[in-house]
Order: sequence, then structure tokens, then C-alpha cells
Amino acid sequence: MKNNSIRKTLEKESAAGIVCTLPFTLGILLFILVPMGISLYYSLCDYNILSPPTFVGLDNYVEMFSDETFFKAIGVTFFYALISVPLRLVFALIVAMLLLRTTRITGFYRAAYYLPSIIGGSVAVSILWRRMFAVDGVVNNLLGLIGIDTRFAWLGDTRTAIWTLILLAVWQFGSSMLIFLSSLKQIPTTLYEAARVDGASRPYQFFHITLPLLTPTIFFNLVMQMIQGFLAFTQSYIITQGKPMNSTLFYTVYMYKQSFEFKHTGYGAALAWVMLVIVGIITWILFATKRFWVYEDGV
Amino acid sequence: MKKQISLVLAGMMAMGMLSACDGNSGGTSGEATTETSDGAVSLTFSWWGNQVRNERTQAALDLYSEQNPGVTFDAQFAEYNDYWNKLATASAGNALPDIVQMDYSYLEQYASNGLLVDLTPYIENGTIKTDNVDQTILDSGKSGDGIYALCNGINAPAMFYNKTLLDENGITIKDNMTMDEFLDVCREVYEKTGYKTNLAYGSDAYIDYYCRAYDEIVYESDSLGVSESTLDAFYSLYEDGIKEGWLIDPSVFAEVTIGSVEQDPLVYNSSPDTASWCFLAYTNQYAATKSAAPEGMEIGITTWPSPDPTKSDYLKPSQFFAISSDSANPDEAAKVLDFITNSVECNNILLAERGVPINSSVSDAISENLTEEDREVITFIDEVVTPNCSTISPPAPTAASEVYNLNDLLIEQVCYGQITAADAAKQMLEEGNPMMAG
Repeated sequence: MKNNSIRKTLEKESAAGIVCTLPFTLGILLFILVPMGISLYYSLCDYNILSPPTFVGLDNYVEMFSDETFFKAIGVTFFYALISVPLRLVFALIVAMLLLRTTRITGFYRAAYYLPSIIGGSVAVSILWRRMFAVDGVVNNLLGLIGIDTRFAWLGDTRTAIWTLILLAVWQFGSSMLIFLSSLKQIPTTLYEAARVDGASRPYQFFHITLPLLTPTIFFNLVMQMIQGFLAFTQSYIITQGKPMNSTLFYTVYMYKQSFEFKHTGYGAALAWVMLVIVGIITWILFATKRFWVYEDGV
Repeated sequence: MKKQISLVLAGMMAMGMLSACDGNSGGTSGEATTETSDGAVSLTFSWWGNQVRNERTQAALDLYSEQNPGVTFDAQFAEYNDYWNKLATASAGNALPDIVQMDYSYLEQYASNGLLVDLTPYIENGTIKTDNVDQTILDSGKSGDGIYALCNGINAPAMFYNKTLLDENGITIKDNMTMDEFLDVCREVYEKTGYKTNLAYGSDAYIDYYCRAYDEIVYESDSLGVSESTLDAFYSLYEDGIKEGWLIDPSVFAEVTIGSVEQDPLVYNSSPDTASWCFLAYTNQYAATKSAAPEGMEIGITTWPSPDPTKSDYLKPSQFFAISSDSANPDEAAKVLDFITNSVECNNILLAERGVPINSSVSDAISENLTEEDREVITFIDEVVTPNCSTISPPAPTAASEVYNLNDLLIEQVCYGQITAADAAKQMLEEGNPMMAG
């Protein structure tokens, strides 16, 4: 009797759906929603990790307004995201255009240019980057070869340190490039042929055919990369540790320091939630501007 | 529209990862004991250190496993700064390693929060034998009424220097240098060789060491026990050093892992403008520094400079081993602590790298196997530090770690010429006091 009813339930069509999505549902619940809930609770607590949290209401959020380092970290993160993301997209698009023509060797080049994005966020590349920009590193040596003899400390100067991180971000243009590449291929060649017949120049074709038809892809890339840009951690944590003088202190690194180094874990959790709101607003703004520049009728 | 919604959702999810980060990052840290069905025990054992220590500790643990079949170790080591972040995260997940290496400055935090096992019962029932251990050394692991950690050696601040370089240029170093004598050496070295001085950049201990000369304790329980004039004098060292050119540029430290012996400018950098002739460290880093030094560089050892060396200098328990309350096998862990403290075989492997063994019969037994540098360290502690030192400052409270960061930042700003030493002194008090109180 019991067996039968279980069987009946399992045979329902919805059951299959539930079972099949179970791994994902459980994953979301256990590894995202539950920790998020706990984090939200901690953000309302005075919590030092070592002893149990005590509820303090919104104190952590209020404290942020008088925290200079918080604003400094926000500034650095905005600067980094707002500069590195557009640069990366432009770069990705240029390379995608170059690799559009299919010859025997383009496959290799596509893979080669994609490689940095796979390994880009890794600790190894960050350490490599730190060595490259060291006083006696590759960059200064190369400059020496072309006659600029310098012992400039790229990572130790407040004006240049953040730019080395931006450069690293731009170098990891691979995944955007691949997405650009696939949508470039979807633009019908008939459009270009027609334009050529009408005597349109190459730049004219780019700005009036390619770019408008790419806007949905650009939009997608922009949103995803922007979110990623705001959440960047490894580069700052490994390469510069926020130095010199907090000029490369990414928001997430500050959050990490507050949470685990200064043992203000409640405050760290509050920082995380503020970041969530900030990224949410940025994403919302991007969506709000969408109808002004994204061409969605498709081809 | 549907597309947009799913895109927003995807975006939100990516952000969710971020906030999830905070509650859930304990996963990869320590894991508590696991006991398999056949009675085998696996203990996690964690420490911070350097290459020499990592190798020797691993070898000692292997020996224990060999003598006690069924006991295996999961050894976890990290650099000092990362170690504490890792340990804090693990404690939140109730996943502290069974045996943790402890430092004097963190002992109070962990013991008072109930994260460590009281070792008194094990000492009383003889699991951990302490017959040949001095009572004051045993008491250094005390918090409240219990002994929560077992000291594993005696240590002292020590300055290592490039003896080869100084000898070549006819510069001699004497022990217990005063600040003025030290500054003269810095200037002379810089003039003659171009080598600069690393004045304890990134160290949270040196400011305390310096201020002790004026009978002031920086990290007091609820406030900074230090006067503005002392702080001004302290930050002026950095201001003057940059102006006069002998202080190493802070940008050098943007390229290395601060706190790593192997990457210290004394041994890591080769060109004079990024290298330092000295390194303010601790006696138990002597062996590692020597082995990290490039060939042909002889390393000397002396005391840290201070306006009043006798008041500033101190002996300190180099570090401790403790058993965490997350351990499922504290009994076995206690046996391991006994092994480390009392086994001659074990200490023949460790060879006083963490500090001179606290069991006097063990330290006698291994003395003939000690390396040249270990002997130098023992002589240094016995003959140079012990007659010229004062009692160590009380352990720093939890809030101090934020002040360490503030101090680093202020030194950095002074070195970059952003603020004057007087500003730094003022800011240290203005911002540091609320940190200590909060």
C-alpha cells in the first residue's frame, strides 16, 4: 500500500522535474541562501568570530558612515571597475574582430588569447604579475632594452599601483572576446555586401552595421564584467595587499580584513550587504539605460 | 523581458556568492579529528613558520606516526599573517585543528573564548610530563586558572645583519646598541655602501619595544598606554630616515610577502637600494635567515636598537602548542604534546628551531647535536639578553590587531611624505584609542 503511494507520487510528471533539479536546488539552498541568511544575521551583530555573536541592530551599518577607509575602498573599487571594464571590452572587441577571419591558424590564436582569462584570477598569475612589475622585474628590464633605464617601483607608487591591477584585468579579455566572436559571426554577410554595393567605407560599416547589431552582446558583457569588477579580490589581495597607502584597497579586501584580521566579522558581513546593494543599483542603472542604446530587434 | 529577469537573477546570484563568502569560508581550513573504524586516529596539526621549520616538524610528526602505528597527521602550515586568519575562520566553523601552534599575543583571545582545552588534568595525571620544566615557563601558558598552552621554547628579539658587508667596510656592531648608536651605523652603512636600513617595517612589536624604553606599554587593555611625545619620536625615526636616505623605501615591501623570512630585504634583494643591512626578527628565525641568505653572506646577531635597551628588551615564550576544544581526540593530542616536550628523539629532529626546549634534560641531551647557529642563539640569549632585559609586556587584547594595521599605515604615510611624524603621533592616539576601547 505504502509502496504504491510512493510510486504514484514518483510517477507524476512534476516529480521528475523536482528530482532532476534537486542538486541545483539543494546547492542554492545550502551554499547560497543559507549562508546569505547567516551573513545577514551576522551583519546585525557584534561578532568577533571567536565568541558567539550578540545582536546590536543596525550599529554596523551606522558605523560605516564614519569609516574613512570604507569610503576609500569604495572609491578605489569604483575607479578600478569603471576603468578596467570598458577598457577590457574595447580590447576584447578589437581582438575578436581581428580573429574573425577563419584561416588555419585562427583556432590557435583564439585559444591563445582566451588562456589568460582561464588562469587570470589565479594566485599564480597574481604572483607572476607582482614579479613582473618589481623594481628588478621584467617590465623595467624591457624598458631598459629600449633605452629607458629605470628602477621605478610600479607597485610601490600610489599613482601606478592601481594601473598594474587594471592592466591585469584588461589582459583577461578572453571570455568577453569569445562571446563577441560568436555574435560577430551571426551578423549576416548580406548586410555588408549591400553596404559595399552602396559604397560604404569600412569604418562606416563598423559603426552602422557591426556596432548596432552587437549592442545586446556588449550589454551582456558589460553587466557581467561590471559585477565581476566590483567583486575583484585576488589581484588586490595577492599583488598589492591594498598597498601603498590603501590606494589599491579593493572593497572585498577591506571586507576580508575587517572580518578575519581585525575580527569585526559582523561589520564585515554588513560591508558585504552594502556591496550587494551597490552592485544591485549599478546593475539596475545599466538596465535602465538599456533602451537608449541597445538594439534588440535582432537580425 | 524574460531574458532580462533571468539576467538580473544571474547577476544577483553572482553577488550572492560575495555575501555568502562571509559565513561560509571555513570549509577549506582545519578539520576536526577523524577516527576510522579500525581505531586509527588522524590529527590535524597546524603551525606558522618557515621552510626549515616545516621540514623539521613534518619529520618529527612522521617519527611519532612510526612509533605509534594508527596515528597519522594532517600537517597544515602557513605564513604568520595568513595563519591567524585561517585559524579564526576555522574556529567559527568549529573546525579548529586538533593541535594549534599559539603565540603569546593571541593566547588570551583563544583561551578566554573557550577555544582551547585546559591542559592541567593532563599535566596532573602524567600524560604530559613536566618534571624537568621550570614553573615560570609553564605558567606563561596560563589564562585564568588553567594552563591552556605549553610553551615550546624561549625566544628573544634579535637583529640579524649582513656581517660580510659590515666587515668589508670596517663597521663594527656592538650588542645593546642605543638608538643613537644604531642611527650612526645606519648613516655610515648608507654612505659607505649604499645599503639601506629596514627599520622593522610591518612589525607590530617594534613600536612596543621602542616605547618600553620610556616605561610605556602600547597595547594596554582598553587604551594605548603611550604618550604623544614618545610616538612623535618613534615616527620621526622614519621621517628622518627617508629624508636622510638611509631608510629603505616602503615601495620595496609592495613586492614581497611581509613577515616571510625568505623574502626579507636582508636576504632577498641584491641591489643596495632595495636591500637592507639588517633585519629585526626573533632568535628562532636565525637558522631560517641563515639558510635563506645568499652564498657568501655571513649573518650576525645582536639586539634590537632602543633608546634604553635594558628596559626595552625581553625574553618571551617563543610560541606554544595548544589543543583546541574542537578536537575529538584531546587525549591523543596530549600524548603528542608530551612527545614534543619530552622526547629526546623528537627534539633531535626539531633541534631548538622554535626555541630552546623547555625540558632541561632534553635540552642538555640534544645540545651536542645542535648546529652552530643554535648554539650561537643559546649563547646570545644567555649572555646578551638575559642580563639586560625586563619583563615582557602583558599580552595584547583582541582589538590590538586593528591598531597594528593603523600603525603600518601611519608609518607608510610618513615614509611617503604624506604626513609628518607629529601628525602620525596625533592620529595614532586619535584613531587607535577608540579601536582599543571598542
